Amino acid sequence: MLWNAPSVERLVEAFRRLPGIGKRSAERLALHVLSAPAEEAEAFSRAVVEARSRVSQCSVCLNLTEENPCAICSDARRDQRIICIVEHPSGAMAIERGGMYRGVYHVLHGVLNPLEGIGPEELRIDRLLKRLEGGAVDEVILATNATSEGETTSLYLSRQIAKFGIAVTRIAHGVPMGGGLEYADEATLAHAMQGRTRL
Amino acid sequence: MQLTQFSCRHFRCLPGLAFAPEPGINLLYGDNAQGKTSILEAILYCTTSRSHRTTTESDLRQQGEEGFRVALHAIAQGQPIQLEANWWHNQKRFKVNGIPQTRISDILGRIRVVFFAPEDVDLVKGSGSHRRRFLDMELAQLSPAYLLALQQYKKVLRQRNETVRDKRPDPILLDVFDEQLVQYGAILMAERRAFVTQLSAFAQNAYALVAGGELFSVHYLPSITPDQDFAETLKQNRERDIRRGQTLLGPHRDDLELTVDAKPARSFGSQGQQKTAALALKLAEVELIHHRYQEYPVLLLDEALAELDPHRARRLFDMLATQVQCLITTTERAPNPAMEEHPLTRFHVVRGHIEKT
Repeated sequence: MLWNAPSVERLVEAFRRLPGIGKRSAERLALHVLSAPAEEAEAFSRAVVEARSRVSQCSVCLNLTEENPCAICSDARRDQRIICIVEHPSGAMAIERGGMYRGVYHVLHGVLNPLEGIGPEELRIDRLLKRLEGGAVDEVILATNATSEGETTSLYLSRQIAKFGIAVTRIAHGVPMGGGLEYADEATLAHAMQGRTRL
Repeated sequence: MQLTQFSCRHFRCLPGLAFAPEPGINLLYGDNAQGKTSILEAILYCTTSRSHRTTTESDLRQQGEEGFRVALHAIAQGQPIQLEANWWHNQKRFKVNGIPQTRISDILGRIRVVFFAPEDVDLVKGSGSHRRRFLDMELAQLSPAYLLALQQYKKVLRQRNETVRDKRPDPILLDVFDEQLVQYGAILMAERRAFVTQLSAFAQNAYALVAGGELFSVHYLPSITPDQDFAETLKQNRERDIRRGQTLLGPHRDDLELTVDAKPARSFGSQGQQKTAALALKLAEVELIHHRYQEYPVLLLDEALAELDPHRARRLFDMLATQVQCLITTTERAPNPAMEEHPLTRFHVVRGHIEKT
């Protein structure tokens, strides 16, 4: 920043910590907040503080929620016998947008990545396994991302869940709907070929 | 495959330079340290995103500059193609025909080149890591499936190595890494085996052509031999891996055995034999690419002629010059009389500038 204003620098720093925001964007956002009417800035900061204080992890599925248990876990119409495992709340949100899934979720808040010090303990996999005890679950759907770490995590969970005698499935990888084959990369096409289905 | 235009900016000692390579032999001559090798290195970088001299891309920019750029025009499979590599403040951007590319697999193999430099004698003399790097670089240009498996294998290996360094590693997590290593490792081993079998036949011919007489052969020495089961081996060695803090066996420890008249070239070969063996590997690669794609790659020879007597050089040019576009660096304007009998274009390189002569 051009002028000596520690409070502005702190604001820029705060924006920079957000994902996908670089130095330039952070400065632009800070300037925007400062040029807008004071009420707008106050509403903005209130929204941040309020959301942060009201939202916490659901005690059942660990998804982010204002009520506990979350709306999905406490919805009687959802099938509690099917659990879909996702890396982040954004994964659950994406599946909810699809509108087809009627089961419940479990959010890992990460993937297994020993290089970054994230092992089974850090992911609190014991909490998931506790949830599966007692025979109340028929199927676990593994919906981690199609990355190396996502695959590792899915394989790990499938082995851990095997002892409960619960069906474990992995979501399919393949060509996006409405997409041409020529736009898919080699890895996706190779997966799509391996996972082909009989008509 | 033919390069038709080369240009670069702020690459190594080249401030800004452009020239149009011709079919046949292109001789880049000039004193040492004028930028001849840097031109070949720039071509290698633009086509593979790799350099033979460094893995640190900031080394490639001209001193005091913030970035560099290399652009190539070529004819590949009968079609014109443009490749462009831009490096700026630790960010690299590649374009094919002006369109930005995000994955290395989208660049590799667009313009195929084979590069031979004096350092390549390490393929024969050096440790196994040089030969694995050769296998990986060449196979990555030939097979997208190989490149993909290699990237995944390396990622999983790093994770597994980190895990075995734990005091009490999670056995199920290790099972998972083993399963993934086996899955990707099988692809690496199968592709390497097929590649080496083909390469060996071509390398034998190339060596005989350049050296005459002696029998050169290349064998694949997998860390996991065909009668072993990779999954079983990992399981049996797990305790040892944990004690040593790394994965001791697997395709990341594969090697090639190079022999001249049935003796290992690494320990028994003379300097001359070792250099010829390294050159033969690269010439075999030229033939192998032709065999697979019905099109020759561009051959980049950095200071490769000094070792060859005129007789052998003649045979080399007879084999190459009619079909393969070569860019050859030397210190002399007329290094070899055999060259004159083939289509030959000379470029003089002085202090980072180039001139057709």
